[in-house]
Amino acid sequence: MEVVDARVILAPTVSFLCAALVFATGRSVFWRRFWTFLAATIKMGLVLSMLPGTLRGVVYTYQFVEFTPGIGIGFRADAYGMFFSLVSSTLWVLTTIYAIGYMQGDKDRVRFFGFFALCVSTTVGVSFAENLLTFFLFYETLTICTYPLVVHAETPEALRAGRIYLTYTLIGGGFALVGAIMTLNVAGTLTLAHPGILSGDAGFGTLLVIFLCLIIGFGVKAGIMPLHGWLPIAMVAPTPVSALLHAVAVVKVGAFGVTRVIYNVFGVELLQQLGFATPLAWLAAFTILAGSTIALTQDHLKRRLAYSTISQLSYIVLGAALLTPLAATAAIIHVANQAFAKITMFFVVGAITKTTGKKYVSELDGIGARMPWSMAAFTIAALSFVGVPLFAGFITKWYLALGALQADAWWFVLVMIVSSLLNAGYWFPIIHRAYFRTAQEPWPPPPPGRRLETHKTLLIPILICAAYVLLLGVTAEVPGMPFSVAQVAVERAFGLPGVTP
Amino acid sequence: MTVPWVEALPWTVVLPLVGAALTPAVAARRPRVAGYWAWGVLLVTTALASGLVVELALRGPFSYALGGWAAPYGIELRFDHFSAWVLPLAALFVVIVPFSWRYLDHVMPAGRLPAFYALLLLNCGGMIGFCVTGDLFNLFVFTEVVALSSYALVAVGGRGLAAYAALKYLFIGAVSSLLMLFAVAQLFVMTGSLNMADVAARLAELGPGVPVMVAFAALAVSFMVKAAMFPVHVWLPDAHAIAPSPVSAVLSGMVVKIGIVGMLRVYQIYYGAGVLELGPFNQALVWLGAISIVMGAFFAVFQDDIKLMLAYSTISNIGYIVLGLGLASPYAVIGASVHVFNHALIKATLFLAAGAIIHQTGYRTLSDLRGVARSMPQTAAAMAVGAVSIVGLPPTAGFVCKWFIALGAFEANQAPFGFALVFGALFIFIYYIRMVNAFYFQQPVHAAVAEARDVPLSMRGPIVLLATLCLILGVLGGIPLSFVEPAVLDLLPAWGP
Repeated sequence: MEVVDARVILAPTVSFLCAALVFATGRSVFWRRFWTFLAATIKMGLVLSMLPGTLRGVVYTYQFVEFTPGIGIGFRADAYGMFFSLVSSTLWVLTTIYAIGYMQGDKDRVRFFGFFALCVSTTVGVSFAENLLTFFLFYETLTICTYPLVVHAETPEALRAGRIYLTYTLIGGGFALVGAIMTLNVAGTLTLAHPGILSGDAGFGTLLVIFLCLIIGFGVKAGIMPLHGWLPIAMVAPTPVSALLHAVAVVKVGAFGVTRVIYNVFGVELLQQLGFATPLAWLAAFTILAGSTIALTQDHLKRRLAYSTISQLSYIVLGAALLTPLAATAAIIHVANQAFAKITMFFVVGAITKTTGKKYVSELDGIGARMPWSMAAFTIAALSFVGVPLFAGFITKWYLALGALQADAWWFVLVMIVSSLLNAGYWFPIIHRAYFRTAQEPWPPPPPGRRLETHKTLLIPILICAAYVLLLGVTAEVPGMPFSVAQVAVERAFGLPGVTP
Repeated sequence: MTVPWVEALPWTVVLPLVGAALTPAVAARRPRVAGYWAWGVLLVTTALASGLVVELALRGPFSYALGGWAAPYGIELRFDHFSAWVLPLAALFVVIVPFSWRYLDHVMPAGRLPAFYALLLLNCGGMIGFCVTGDLFNLFVFTEVVALSSYALVAVGGRGLAAYAALKYLFIGAVSSLLMLFAVAQLFVMTGSLNMADVAARLAELGPGVPVMVAFAALAVSFMVKAAMFPVHVWLPDAHAIAPSPVSAVLSGMVVKIGIVGMLRVYQIYYGAGVLELGPFNQALVWLGAISIVMGAFFAVFQDDIKLMLAYSTISNIGYIVLGLGLASPYAVIGASVHVFNHALIKATLFLAAGAIIHQTGYRTLSDLRGVARSMPQTAAAMAVGAVSIVGLPPTAGFVCKWFIALGAFEANQAPFGFALVFGALFIFIYYIRMVNAFYFQQPVHAAVAEARDVPLSMRGPIVLLATLCLILGVLGGIPLSFVEPAVLDLLPAWGP
């Protein structure tokens, strides 16, 4: 059932207005925080208020303006879009709290928080995009809005990172644009409301070019190897930016785009006929293993996190490319699982750097005694990534493995197992150092009069995120949790009544 | 009661021309009055033009017979969908003139102001006349009015290279005008008529032949020179970079479009007549357009002077338009026609913002202007919006044309040009990102830049307004379309290979 509802356009508009107000009145710390929190709360409320409807199968739509005859800027909150916007709007609130603490005393905070809000606005725009044109508009806007955040430090290193970031993403955007235009030319529509708009009539060659263009276009942000080069370099940005954008917004928008291409542009049936998805699945499997292997060798904390992100994102791509309902469930649910676990880690790493000045894994001996709560959160996130049962990451791997078996591709199960081992290989040394080694030199104590291990605006988001990782794993089947939304989304894409085995 | 808007058609042309003639008299005692006078005249002209556009939207194209002599014997003014361009054209002048009030104080002695504004009005009147005339000889006359006033406007800044740039512009422009005169004469001799619709009809009776082709070639080359298309672009960069910034905005945004509108008129005649196989010509246009895009971007990348860089990017953008025309598929031509306006808007934003920055700091190269965004936030923000827009990234006006022309390329089965268009645009972003970096993310090297104040409201207002429009038209990209689409669909049945 489709319902016209203005909330789908209000949600991105709220954060856009917030950005405008931050730019206008942001010199005052009070107003900057006020607008940001007000908007973040309103937006989360808007998205949450649509959730019950989504679970009942309602799809909210709103056509904004016609851009070209028949194709407008339109919004449509289907289950998958709702799922993604739920993740990003929840994390906006948490990241904002964290960013306020982290950026204290930093320069150019008006610019920082303004573009921060713009980025979230475009992320929600992407998740509610009704057609590929709207998707592309927000996708490219996100690229532009993240640039000032990446180069925030204004050092030559940051500028270089920004240049590389733009080169990758804009060329990717060019491919996505060509892909969208070719799709329109062939299919006559760009809507994402159907399970597939292309048909085999277009010819194998044309369809291959479209597939390549769209997958390259969105795969750049999803960090599929060999298109991942920007991601580790962009870690030069302040940690809240890395957290929200390079573990959640930017990269997830790419992964979201890849899944939209597979499920809504090509459709499962057509891709099964064409066989394009199998090489993509192999590429994703390669990325999973290679990303993890490189992560093993990284001593710089944020870079290790970055390569882990590259590896984890390809779970989503792999899940989508397997073209089975169970694998799709894994792909969608992993958007949330990875987001919360990875943002926990980024928050912890940022808190460590902010509190102690340490940036390298080898410097972390005994940190568990100095920052016990943060490291507890880190451990939870790490366990989730390794895929220990009852943690969120396990659900992804379980469904991904089932989906691979459904597709008669047992060797991807092997990939899962090896990847779990690799994950353990690069997360557990950190935990080992934190708890089981004595500090090389005594950790500096908290400043007098401060009881917490680090500033409360840093610690609170960390703990909430870690708690949510636990909840995602333990209460997956509870209605209203992301998992149920993911199931509705999968039912829609495959036209199935239920997929729980 | 319905307002007889048809009667307003001649006035939109006459008003700026007469206004120009009166400017020195009005401003005889106090030269500054010239600026306000010109603005008033342009406001009225814009109001008339909007009436005409409304009339066009309601009732379709209409004609006005000068002196009551019906076409083809009398001179006909014709307002069709391509003529709707006069409204944004006049409106852009209305925005540019207030910017000039304060800007010109540092550029020229007050005594020259009346002459400057008179030339500006003449230029505007000439372009409006060019767009609404239905007569070939009038087309030539208005081209000359525009050209001569443009030469003078380049030179009016009066310093160093200005005279040289104006002279170069004059020589090349004169060759182009001569070619046009030759073609018009040729067509007159062949058909005995100067009315465009009539010429088309009579050419159809005459049938194909070498003279018909020669006339076409002469017109095409003449208009290409006016449009500054590669390889006949050499006059443009110096002229546009050296002129005072408001003039640069007019020249780069609008005067070069005379060549494009002229090309559309030539198409109307020749497609109407159907005497010439234009497929090979269109294919040549596609190639020239693609080369223009790349060459313009290539030269722009190596400039340090911001205005020179903007001038080169005009060549790139004319490349888009010409590429779209040559592709000859509905979407491509629609995109090209829309870009005639969108590019004018973007280029006006950029040149005015660049002018404001140069005006306040006294520097004009990127390396000198580092960190200027801190001292002039609004102007720099407008410049950044313009930069994103001219590269054709969403959600800005520049994206609209890229979308349509690329769509047209695939529609016309010319996929490689679709790719060339999308990625050629990114090439030029190399330059603009350097600009954004210099303005925003680097430390000032000159005290004058660090301590500069943002421009006064009369200059800032127009800049911010234009930048906002760049963003709005990116989202509401469908609006200009509704005017261009009927004209293109009228033209196209006979169009294309």
